[in-house]
Amino acid sequence: MSRVPVRPAALGATALAAALVLAGCSAGGGSSNSSSGGPTKTLVVDNTFDLKTSDPARAFELTGSIVDKAIYETALTFQGDDTTKPLPQLATFKESSDNKVLTLTLNGKHAFSSGNPVTIDDIVWSYKRVQAIAGNPSFLLTDQSTGKNLDIAKTSSTTMTITDTNPNPALPFILPNPSLGVLDSKVLTKHGGTTTKSDGAEQYLNGHSAGSGPYALTSYSATTKVVFGPNPHYVGSKPTYGRVVLQNVTGPSQKIDVQGNQAQIATGLNAQQVQGIGSSLKVLKSTSPDVGYLWLNQNPTYGKGVTNNAAFVTAVRKGLNYQDILAVAGTGSSQPGGMVPSQFLGSIKPDATNTYDASAAKAALTKAGYKGQTVTLSYPTDATLSGVEFSTLAQKVQSQLEAVGVKVKLAGTPISTLLDAYRAGKLQAGIMYWGPDFPDPSDYTTFSPGEALGLRAGWAASMSPEVTKAKQAAEASTGTGRAAAYEAWQRAANQNGPFVPLLQPARYFVTASSVTDVKPNAVWTVDLAAIK
Amino acid sequence: MTVAVAPPRRRMRLPAAWRRPLAIVGAAVIVIWVLIALLAPVLPLQDPLHQSSAVLASPSAGHLLGTDELGRDVLSRTLWGSQVSLPLAVVLVLASLVIGSVLGAVAGYIGGIVDEVIMRIADLVFAFPTIILAMVVAAALGPSLTNAVIALTFVNWPNYARVMRALVLGARGQEYVIAGRLLGSGPFTSLRRDVLPNVASPMLVLATLDFGNQILLLSGLSFLGLGAVPPTAEWGSMVGDGVQQFSSWWLATFPGLAIFSVVVGFNFLGDALRDALDPRTAGAVQGTTV
Repeated sequence: MSRVPVRPAALGATALAAALVLAGCSAGGGSSNSSSGGPTKTLVVDNTFDLKTSDPARAFELTGSIVDKAIYETALTFQGDDTTKPLPQLATFKESSDNKVLTLTLNGKHAFSSGNPVTIDDIVWSYKRVQAIAGNPSFLLTDQSTGKNLDIAKTSSTTMTITDTNPNPALPFILPNPSLGVLDSKVLTKHGGTTTKSDGAEQYLNGHSAGSGPYALTSYSATTKVVFGPNPHYVGSKPTYGRVVLQNVTGPSQKIDVQGNQAQIATGLNAQQVQGIGSSLKVLKSTSPDVGYLWLNQNPTYGKGVTNNAAFVTAVRKGLNYQDILAVAGTGSSQPGGMVPSQFLGSIKPDATNTYDASAAKAALTKAGYKGQTVTLSYPTDATLSGVEFSTLAQKVQSQLEAVGVKVKLAGTPISTLLDAYRAGKLQAGIMYWGPDFPDPSDYTTFSPGEALGLRAGWAASMSPEVTKAKQAAEASTGTGRAAAYEAWQRAANQNGPFVPLLQPARYFVTASSVTDVKPNAVWTVDLAAIK
Repeated sequence: MTVAVAPPRRRMRLPAAWRRPLAIVGAAVIVIWVLIALLAPVLPLQDPLHQSSAVLASPSAGHLLGTDELGRDVLSRTLWGSQVSLPLAVVLVLASLVIGSVLGAVAGYIGGIVDEVIMRIADLVFAFPTIILAMVVAAALGPSLTNAVIALTFVNWPNYARVMRALVLGARGQEYVIAGRLLGSGPFTSLRRDVLPNVASPMLVLATLDFGNQILLLSGLSFLGLGAVPPTAEWGSMVGDGVQQFSSWWLATFPGLAIFSVVVGFNFLGDALRDALDPRTAGAVQGTTV
């Protein structure tokens, strides 16, 4: 028998090949140890981080909301998963009859982790800081149509007002956002905090707590984990867990973690991943408020005479098999009728404009004079819609549109690259998602002609006057008439608009059987302090 | 009077090398994959892009290797994947071989400043980890298989250039080369007629051994989302998609095995070819019986 010559390079290549084979059979990452007994109960929560900062005035990411909800209290709040009714937290509220002035009155005694009492000055200071920094959440305290800052003023030692130049019935639904968490102004001013653009307190806030929430920061890393300990001065009910570890783990590894009790809650599993998760674990299913949508650029320069053709838009709407898309997204996902998610005021059911009809789609293509031009469909490669890969959705849409005769070329890019081009309105078509900034339909009128999201799809102000008119009517509506007004706006947008709402995915939380009271919330995902 | 100086001839020992089992296995694996790639359109396979309602179905009689997250047949996609990986590996290796050989031969034969410039550029490429540099280039060019091939060619040509330069440096001092020059051959004629034919065998062996590496790197880039674009059935991207569906083990396993088999096949084949064409190694092998 001959000696077999062995080359190190060949061996290395073979080992690498074997590693690639095994890639599907193993997942990287891990989790820290956890325990459920002893004097301090520890809760380990797996989350796929999009964390940038824990400074409320700058944070506007999903993970940031979880972190800030645990550390900071807000003037108003929501109870559990119900986002339809704002409730007092640091303050009670009263709206003026014209919905232009909201008066906040300090609600009992609250204390920051430093021991300082929460005052009306702290709330005013925190809100003005949000406005001054002009970060991602600053728009929450601006007029939705003009973009001008709301007027924030202290009116007595226990009261303040927030005044808008236009009726703003959404304001009570905006104030519970963790980005409007109230900070300890006395502590912050000593660490660079100001109510001007030059605020320099972010670094301090990424290592220390300055809130009155149930938890205080023990350690903070935007890429690995955030650890919380109790806030000794918190005036509410003491949280069940004395220590909470929120750690950055990808979806597949979250499954292993929670199955191996390395984590007690997994927040990032999709429908396929929760299958066969094991009977010893609990699967909580809810509908995500995130809306996945398709857009078709109406600007002739980028629509290239194809996507900016109204009949072509109709063909796409009719050519999509929405139920088939939901099947890919998994059990529990649903089709929104318009851009407003199903759980919010003003949402609508799918109608004839959003129903699969292949023959109608083909007829519309003929009417559009479509001659087989290739449409480039962009999508983010490094983001998911509650665990559903955009690549999967894009391939499904491509397959369906090609079945009715539309040629589609997929163009996946990292989301940061995609957003630059999308925000500039330079992409012909694509798939994207929109998560709620606050649980009110007024957050969605940006999907209108001439508005920020509308312009991303080349939908100029002059293009669909009937949609603009319906949007203005919705924004001006108050009281019980709001729901009908927002429904009318969405129906008009479905008739004439470039946005095609595709799905709201299911959201799954997998928890250990011992864990209870995990309530998915549309604004802050999950309240760590409420978990028992 | 014209004096013909014939270059030394080398005896082909291929038949001896083929007698070894691993060489036969390697060749068989490659032949099978090449046949699959050629015959995929006529094989009784489902359309690799057809999306059925059987999403993430485990292996069964209907779908021998199961289905993926869009209900596509994994067997079909794995076999059709050979139509992507194998030709691209050939293009990649040929491009690297041609570019690297030309530059290496020029550097070795001409020497001086030309040699310095070419080899310092090669050193610059060598200074970075291969896959990292390929990722950077591929990311800069944008995800596509063409760009992945360009990126890998960019990081791979110096391997060939370095070997070719060393071979040419050794050959250019040989008597038959000097004699050719004395008889009036210009430098490029001498390089083409006297030098290159005598250094071709080691380069061929290097290229054969490189096939496996390049398929692996190409799959690696696709795994990272920098190569194949959906819905192309490509092994690396299939493994990448499979990792996202951890509980559906069949998604990553079978395309992973395809990569594994091709890489191993080319490595066995390359070893056999080297033993057949490289006199020193071949002699050592021939004289050793275990």
